[in-house]
Amino acid sequence: MFKRVLIANRGEIALRVQRTCRELGIETVAVYSEPDRNALHVRLADHAVCIGPGPSTESYLVIDKIIEAARATGADAIHPGYGFLSENPRFVDACEASGITFIGPPASAMRALGDKVSARKLMETAGVPVVPGANDISADDFETARREAERIGFPLLVKAAAGGGGRGIRVVERIEDLEGAMRASGAEAASSFGDATIFLERFVTEARHIEVQMMADQHGNVRAYGERECSVQRRHQKLVEEAPSVAVSPELRKRLCDAAVAAAKSCGYQNAGTVEFLLDKSGEFYFLEVNARLQVEHPVTELVYSVDLVKQQLEVASGEALPPLEGPLEPKGWAIECRINGENPYLNFMPSLGLVERVEVPLGPGTRFDSMLFDGLDVPVFYDSMLGKLIVWAEDRELAIKRMRRALHDLLIAGVDTNVPFHLALLDNEDFQAGRIHTNWLENSFTMPALPEDDPRGMTALIAAALASGMVASAAPASAGAPASSRWLRAGRANAMQQRVAAGGGRGWRRGTGSS
Amino acid sequence: MATRHRLLLDGEERTVVVDEAGDQVTVTVGEGEPLSIDVTTSGIPGTFSLVIDGQPAQAYVTRRGQGFEVTVDGRRFLVGPATGGGRQRGGIGGKDRLGEVTAPLAGVVVDVRVAVGDRFSAGQTLLVIEAMKMQNEIQAPHDGTVKAIHCERGGRVEQGALVLEYDADGTETAS
Repeated sequence: MFKRVLIANRGEIALRVQRTCRELGIETVAVYSEPDRNALHVRLADHAVCIGPGPSTESYLVIDKIIEAARATGADAIHPGYGFLSENPRFVDACEASGITFIGPPASAMRALGDKVSARKLMETAGVPVVPGANDISADDFETARREAERIGFPLLVKAAAGGGGRGIRVVERIEDLEGAMRASGAEAASSFGDATIFLERFVTEARHIEVQMMADQHGNVRAYGERECSVQRRHQKLVEEAPSVAVSPELRKRLCDAAVAAAKSCGYQNAGTVEFLLDKSGEFYFLEVNARLQVEHPVTELVYSVDLVKQQLEVASGEALPPLEGPLEPKGWAIECRINGENPYLNFMPSLGLVERVEVPLGPGTRFDSMLFDGLDVPVFYDSMLGKLIVWAEDRELAIKRMRRALHDLLIAGVDTNVPFHLALLDNEDFQAGRIHTNWLENSFTMPALPEDDPRGMTALIAAALASGMVASAAPASAGAPASSRWLRAGRANAMQQRVAAGGGRGWRRGTGSS
Repeated sequence: MATRHRLLLDGEERTVVVDEAGDQVTVTVGEGEPLSIDVTTSGIPGTFSLVIDGQPAQAYVTRRGQGFEVTVDGRRFLVGPATGGGRQRGGIGGKDRLGEVTAPLAGVVVDVRVAVGDRFSAGQTLLVIEAMKMQNEIQAPHDGTVKAIHCERGGRVEQGALVLEYDADGTETAS
């Protein structure tokens, strides 16, 4: 096992990886950008290295700085977390060249899976179902395209082989529109990517996003930890994930897991990975892509399979074989994760950031909160708006929904707006409760309810504010001689006089920095 | 001893009378019935534990400018004094006062699309604030004419900061 692991990340995932390392007796190295100096992951690490200014292109994304930090602190392995450099094969090469173990898949597997068409061909060869389609069609070969389109069926998508970012994609409803779509897509692909090659793919509508967690060791063992349902998305961003899925029977689960194992074996995959599938209304599933890293939503799998995925990542990266199974792998109970984002659900989910005055974390049975928040954290503007992940486990889905509702009410984050009201509204939605969801459901069918008129919480706020005004007035020097008239006023007065929040919004002070 | 507080909540002026007699605290909001209050707190910022006519409630209270930010069961309220200094939005979903535009979020001003004296119509983008890699267009709440601009391109603004003042067309009040 490793002696010292550098965690090339920040926020809640840096803490998540650190926690398992500390439990296993592995020393941790934190890296941080200047605005993250006060972050929890810095405080709780054994070693910490500043890697530059706030923008991630000048800190968390700079390969040389991370490698140098690992060298300087004598780290023998690097855990990349998710995002940042986690799926960058050049980073894996750089680790290897420096004799540092990268805790993740080999660069060759990343490269094979990174390109859409090559991944598609790889999966076809491995017998993993891909969305029915036709590869490598010349944009002016209408005859072949028409023949293939009849086979695939409508509606279908014309896509650029070299495409990305949604460019070169056309939806075709009828065969008469095929030629026009091919011309448009081919022209766009040629001008954007210098390659007019296109491919056709069936347009799978009202599909669910179902993904399978797999783990592969260096000895050829691959294990699949069942599915996660991640269909609740806005602008391709997942908001709620659960395990298992209401749409997956034990028989379908076995087929999904077998496909995920075959996908991993097709490219010599190692370590943790997620195979994403589209599951259509008829129950057919198709390969989408492989996320070659630990996922944000990994905790729901951990809870229903009683496994520490980070621990297994560390074990297989250090050469150990996957632990033997004591029985068949089956999900136990139900887990749901809500991503708590700093955004205002009543103002079109506008980001909300700034000083987090106070955090009260939900506790109690089956409740987990993975977060980097603490009282007084000024959320940096450079990174994403996720403040934490609230995860619950219960015996079944209905109970898990009830537990999540309870936990959301127990969560207090004062100082910034959060999407907690959105999650509460979602949990009350009939379609969500019945599991009738697909990847476009949230954007097409869900409406955020308006704020209630005459909100009783407003009354409580008014009363508290009036009482607070009284406290502040009686603590002010002008009325210092006046007698404090009640118990609570006397008790609170001393504190009211010690205004702990500076006018600029920041809290506390800092000295001893060489940089500025 | 009774104290009258005039407070602004969600753009609406409210009167709250706090009457303290010994250890008895009674609060009357507007024309409502007097409520018997039992309250404890460690101070401000801090949690107020309230028992209002026998019903428990809690609120986290912190100072915000001349007023308070009060968080109650997942909802944030900005409660300001009804006169002067109340340049905050009314919390989640709150509205600006007529003639003022405040920053709905903290961030960096990446574009100012109007100048003093410019006429604009309701819904027109006045400025753009970037935060967390997302650009947020701040739109005019009304038809009007720009009177003053209190931010500059490239500058940072805090949530609730007054960024622009305008003369609104017509004499109607903010709805």
